[in-house]
Parts: sequence; C-alpha cells; structure tokens
Amino acid sequence: MIDVQQVRELIELMIEHGLNEIRVREGETQISLRKGPAGEVAVATSPPPTASPTPGPGPTPGLEGPSEDEGLVPICSPMVGTFYAASDPGSPSFVQVGSEVDVDSPVCIIEAMKVFNEIKAEVAGTIERILVQNEQAVEYGQPLMLVRLKS
Amino acid sequence: MFSRVLIANRGEIALRILRACKELGIQTVCVYSEEDRQAPYLALADRTICIGPPPPPESYLKADRIIAAAEVANVDAIHPGYGFLAENAQFAEACRASKIEFIGPSADSMRLLGDKVEAKKLAKRAKVPNIPWTNGPIEDDDEAARWAGRAGYPVMIKAVAGGGGRGIRLVHNEATLRHSLPAARAEAQAAFKDPSVYLEKVIESARHVEVQIMGDRAGNVLHFFERDCSLQRRHQKLVEESPSPMLDDRTREELCKAAVRLARAAEYHSAGTVEFLTDPEGKFYLLEMNTRIQVEHPVTEMVTDLDLLQWQLRVAAGETLTMKQRDIQQRGVAIECRINAEDPARGFRPSPGKILDFRPPGGLGVRVDTHVHPGLTISPHYDSMIAKLVVHRRTRPEAISCMQRCLEEFVIEPIKTTIPLHREIFTHTHFLKGEVDTGFIERTW
Repeated sequence: MIDVQQVRELIELMIEHGLNEIRVREGETQISLRKGPAGEVAVATSPPPTASPTPGPGPTPGLEGPSEDEGLVPICSPMVGTFYAASDPGSPSFVQVGSEVDVDSPVCIIEAMKVFNEIKAEVAGTIERILVQNEQAVEYGQPLMLVRLKS
Repeated sequence: MFSRVLIANRGEIALRILRACKELGIQTVCVYSEEDRQAPYLALADRTICIGPPPPPESYLKADRIIAAAEVANVDAIHPGYGFLAENAQFAEACRASKIEFIGPSADSMRLLGDKVEAKKLAKRAKVPNIPWTNGPIEDDDEAARWAGRAGYPVMIKAVAGGGGRGIRLVHNEATLRHSLPAARAEAQAAFKDPSVYLEKVIESARHVEVQIMGDRAGNVLHFFERDCSLQRRHQKLVEESPSPMLDDRTREELCKAAVRLARAAEYHSAGTVEFLTDPEGKFYLLEMNTRIQVEHPVTEMVTDLDLLQWQLRVAAGETLTMKQRDIQQRGVAIECRINAEDPARGFRPSPGKILDFRPPGGLGVRVDTHVHPGLTISPHYDSMIAKLVVHRRTRPEAISCMQRCLEEFVIEPIKTTIPLHREIFTHTHFLKGEVDTGFIERTW
C-alpha cells in the first residue's frame, strides 16, 4: 500500500533541505525520489510483496511521474478566526486562482475578536487553488491556499 | 444552562470537563495544539480547533487565539481547567468582555486571593488564622532579620505574587536569610513579574489539609470537606486523601467553617480550595486559596458523591447551590495517587517517551482519570502526569489494601513512572498509621 502522506512528507523534506535524492526502505517497500533538472520530483515505489493480505486487485504498483501537488506550497493560517476573501463586502477579492503574488502580497483577511488581520502570502508564485470559502472559520495551521512557486 | 462550552485545556482535565458537559447535554468545543492533534479525547468533542504549535506560550496560553476560537465556534462559556490560564484574571476579564462566560470566580476575587499579602489581610478580617508572618512585604533586610530573630528560625521567604509551591525558600539562620533575599527577589521578578517577598515562620511537622469550597452567584458558599495532601515532594502533591486521618471532628469543623468564611469574604463563586497547614497541637493556619478546580478534586467527589465539575458549570450558568451544608457528607475514605512519567530512582527525572503498554486497574471503588492510551508519546512540552488513580472504600485500611492491589495491577511500559514510589509509600508504617507530615517524602526518599 502506498502511503501518499508519507510521499508528500518526503517531498517536503527534500525541498526543505535542498536534497536531490532520497530513498526510504521499510520492510519490502522502498520509495525512491529523485529531483529532475527542472526541479521536478520523480517518484518510484517498489511494489508490495505479492502475498499481500488484501485479496483482489491491489493498488497500482509504483507512482510514475511528478506528484500532483509537487511544487505547490500552502499558505497556512497563523491564527484562529474567520476568513474573508476581500477587505470589505463591496471590494474585489485580494486574489483569485491565477493571481501572481510575492512575499508581501495580501491574500486575505482573517478576523478575530473584531480585529481584521491582513494575511501576507510570504511566498512568490501563482495562486493555484483556494481551499476555504468566504466567512469560513479557520484554525491555526489550516491551509488556506496553494501557491505554485516561481522557479 | 450553557448550550456550548469551549475547553481551554488538554489531557486528563480536558477529558474530565468533556465528560461533565456531555452528561449535562452541553455541546463541547475543544482546542488543541499541533502536538495533541491525535489525542483520542478530542473525538468526544463536538468540534475541535487547532490553536497553535506545541509550546504552551504558542497555544494553550495564547489567550487571544482561545477567545478567537470561542468566537468562531459561538460558545457561551470557556472552562480553563487547571494550570495554563485558569488563574489568569486578565484572561477571565477578556472572556467576559467578549460576552463569553469564564467558568471560575470573578477577576477581582482571583486578583485578591492571588496576592498573598492581600489574601492574608482578608483572612485576618475573616478571622481565619494566618501563619505568623511579617504582616506585609519586607521593606528592608535589617527589618527582615529582626523579625526572623524574634519569630525564630527556620523561616520561609515567599513571593507575594507566587503560589502553587513556587517562589519559596527555606532559611535556617540570619546569614542565609541575608544571602537569599536578593536571589529570592530576582526569582520572583522573573517568575511572577513582582519582586516583593515576605517572611513566614516555618510550621514544623506540619500537615497540609485543604478544604474544597463551592460558591454560587447568590452569595451561597458551601464546603465539601477536606483533603489531606501532606505527601509532597518539592511542594508538588503525590498522594491525597479524604478524610484527613489525623483530624478530630472539632478541628475539621472549625477548619471547614474558616474556609467558608474566607470564600464569603472574597465574594467567591465557582469551585475553589482553601489550603491550610495544621501543627501537631491541632492548630491550623491559612496557606493560600486556589481559585480553580484542582487536580485532586476526584478525592472529594468520591467521598461526597457530588460532581464538582458539573456544579462548576451550573453555578457559572447562574444556578444556585440547591443543597444545604448538612446534606453534604463524607462517606468512607478516598485516596488518590498521582502517577507521573518520572523516574524516582533517578531524582524524579522526567521520563518522556512512547507508552506501549497501558493497563489500568479496576474493581470496586476504583477510578482512573487519564487521557493516556497505548501508543501515546509523553510530550516534553507539558506536565508529566499520566494518571490519577483514586480508590474509595468504607474504611482507611480497606482503601489502602485496595490501593496496594491497584498499584500492583497497574502496568505502564516501557517508560519509568512513580508507581514504584507509591508502592513503597503504601507499605510504609508511618503512612499506614496516618502519621505523616509535609517533610515525610523528602526525608524518607
């Protein structure tokens, strides 16, 4: 069984430490990740042993090519509060899918205890996905948006 | 009654509050730090909100995030548990200013009782005896030395803004006193933001006996009898029992009445504990009053058969105490052991790590309050208490026998715990006779 969460964590580790290659083995399962020339990450996992406890067709052995969320970095909420996409009801949203942002770009407001806090992107790139809705309650660490980093 | 309550705490007390709310039909919102994300008790809450990374100053002490969570979850009240923000008057005020009830006393009561000097003045007015003291903070060291000379050594240097066993130094003579005063002031400033200190005479061979009280907003205050907490190490309680084995009925009654007088004088509502020291002559002296629910509350619940957490919720919601003092009775004997993730063989060094095997005891009159489960890693960020093992039987010998059996049965592996120490305590002659004082643990181990 492929643990997608584990693969994601390994990818993050590689990015964080600037690694080009990482290989992890646990029992019969091995995951190899190698960074390609364009900064893309190739993932290969060795298939689980054929005598697996789950009967019927098993999961597809190996995951070829770059993972879907590769190169995407989340903007996480630094606080607890209510998410607002715009500075006030009449104004346009700070960002939409496709918007270019840099480190200081405001991307949303999070309101708590009547104080409206402007949240900055803190990364440079393009907004790929917005994960929360206007007026949604958000918690600390909750991913708000995904940004495709400028390479 | 409240529709929804937010629990601003973690571990066993969060679970305790969750249980009390559920039985009263109150919806629950539990906050958690990233370290507690997988805690099983969170599954009992109707909603959970992450409030920060593991370190308490970034999560469980982050008042603004907790209130923000209370707002987004639309709760009526916050229960602070014990520790963290439970005795933070500013936090209580901030909650109430945001129209969220704080389950505890008024901010004014908290401040008054948290100031050791003001609390002693209040005690004097309420005719509650104080430990002989300097009648105020020390203005200069010569004055301090004169007082100590008259009162007789040993004396304690205590921080005015201290509490919970912190900010205390014992000195045996004038030289040590003069040497320790500047250090004590510096410590007090660092820990409590107030360098003021005072001196207290040491009560030799003292027992620590505390009284559980509960007040409502109509001004009624009841006591739920006493707990003897003489078994301590460095002012941290290890074993608690009710009734106190060496107290005669008359002293018990006077002690409990004094506690009620103090709480009334402070216009106290919610749960609170008035701590006293008793000396071998049977005289008692106020130590301090704690303005929160305490760790060892289960001991009182077992002998009085009353749910203290539920009463806290009720009085906070505006209900009055429906029973009369004479309706509250002590039945049987309850004893609690605090099991911590510490190694008694290595100076009580914290023993963090993953718990693989966790098998608590059971049977008649056995209660285990814990959030621990196999697979849990004891975090270095939070206190090391693993479980509270409480037994309740008809007589003290039966309770002791039951506890001995439970301590044998209780398996927590592979980390080191204080269970071996408890096993020794429960076979020690002095403890079995009920003849222990607050120095017993440190003298014997």
